[in-house]
Amino acid sequence: MPLLRLENVGLAYQGVRRVGSRGFWAVEDVSLDLHEGETLGLIGRNGAGKSTLLRVIAGILRPDRGRVVMRRPLRIQLLALGLGFVPHLSGRDNAILSGMLLGMGRREVELRLAAIREYSELGDFFEQPLNTYSSGMVLRLGFSVAMQVQPDVLLIDEVLGVGDAEFLEKSGNDLRARMRSGMTCVLVSHNDATIRELSDRVAWIEQGRVVMQGDAESTLAAYHAV
Amino acid sequence: MRFLELLWFSAYAELKAESARSYLGLVWWLLEPAMFMAVFYVVFGLIMGSGDPQYIPFLLIGLTFWQWFKSCVSHGAYAIWLNIPMLRQVRLPILLFPLAAVASDTVKFAFVFLVLLVILWTMGYGPWWGYAALPLVFAALLMLASASALIAAAVVPFVPDLRFVIENALMALMFVSGVVFSPDGLAEPYRGWVALNPVVGIIAAARNILMHGRWPDWSLLLQAGIGSALVLLLASVLILRLAPRYPKLAM
Repeated sequence: MPLLRLENVGLAYQGVRRVGSRGFWAVEDVSLDLHEGETLGLIGRNGAGKSTLLRVIAGILRPDRGRVVMRRPLRIQLLALGLGFVPHLSGRDNAILSGMLLGMGRREVELRLAAIREYSELGDFFEQPLNTYSSGMVLRLGFSVAMQVQPDVLLIDEVLGVGDAEFLEKSGNDLRARMRSGMTCVLVSHNDATIRELSDRVAWIEQGRVVMQGDAESTLAAYHAV
Repeated sequence: MRFLELLWFSAYAELKAESARSYLGLVWWLLEPAMFMAVFYVVFGLIMGSGDPQYIPFLLIGLTFWQWFKSCVSHGAYAIWLNIPMLRQVRLPILLFPLAAVASDTVKFAFVFLVLLVILWTMGYGPWWGYAALPLVFAALLMLASASALIAAAVVPFVPDLRFVIENALMALMFVSGVVFSPDGLAEPYRGWVALNPVVGIIAAARNILMHGRWPDWSLLLQAGIGSALVLLLASVLILRLAPRYPKLAM
């Protein structure tokens, strides 16, 4: 039994907000297994349904058909940066709010504030309102908070590090280290090198269906042959 | 427990951010309702005034409680709609957003209410022992405001066009809620219809307590309380059933 299994999952969105508009199926029919400790790469062209699939796995979207089966209750996190950030609040308040929205208790976040402040390299700006930050600083804070969560399954939609060159390397390295340390991950990426480097297995999604799944090399080769 | 913690911190964050957005900050929590009351006082108290000295406390109490209800609903109506992008990123209890709006407006009401008390005392109304019944009045209106906010919040994401209707509907509701004039003066059948509105009973109870130190009309307050609790229950069921659909909506 895998850690998590998708059985013939389908999900439809409503169309444009107009009277009489019809929905469309972003995910048609997907069956996938996710095993404990592995990193599953998802590839496919824009609009193939990869991001929707991640949100189904995260429990954010409930499938309209099929089902998601878990071996045990799982804490699943879609890596989201700056969740719930409010421009007029200090970095500290935003870190608490964002951490709580990500599922941590207030005490839990407060105990990690020092770590967040240090990791984000914000220094005294940590006590300043967010609207005095550069966009890179906002991302650094967002990433530092998101990294405090310890999920059973981590879902990554293209974000593999943020900020200026230096922080990009640090955040990317830490995220990669986490993925290699036996955490169960699903990774969506358009970058072949990233997929090759991090995925134990790759699934190729097209028009809401799995076209092929297997090891990274052969799946990528088949994907590019089309 | 975790939910309440998050609810409080969201409300706190909202209040803090709001006060940071203007030069006068917290002062606006009192100044804005004071301006609103002043407009009504001038129009209904002075220009169209009845000469009744009791009219001013009557009006101020009505407006204070109405403003609380109204701000919860009009603020809560946007609560889910504005947070759809966040609902796509993380799984959150949907009740959080409208209830955080209600909580932050309730904190603001608490300040305005204190000012109202001071005004009433200087005019010679109270304090009385009847204040002991105030928590029941607060509870009834809080339930009704939460229920109305939940319904508005549940529907607006599906039909954002309703935003244009809600403000005017609230204004219409105000005139049949016994805020500006007492519904006792209305002719039948309007009077009977208006009496069905739970806000009427709640505001009447508040006036009884604050102006006369009398116990509220228990049967009327009980009716309003039960009605409000029922609507709140229905609204919660509605919003929980709709919850899976919000992350799929385009904002």
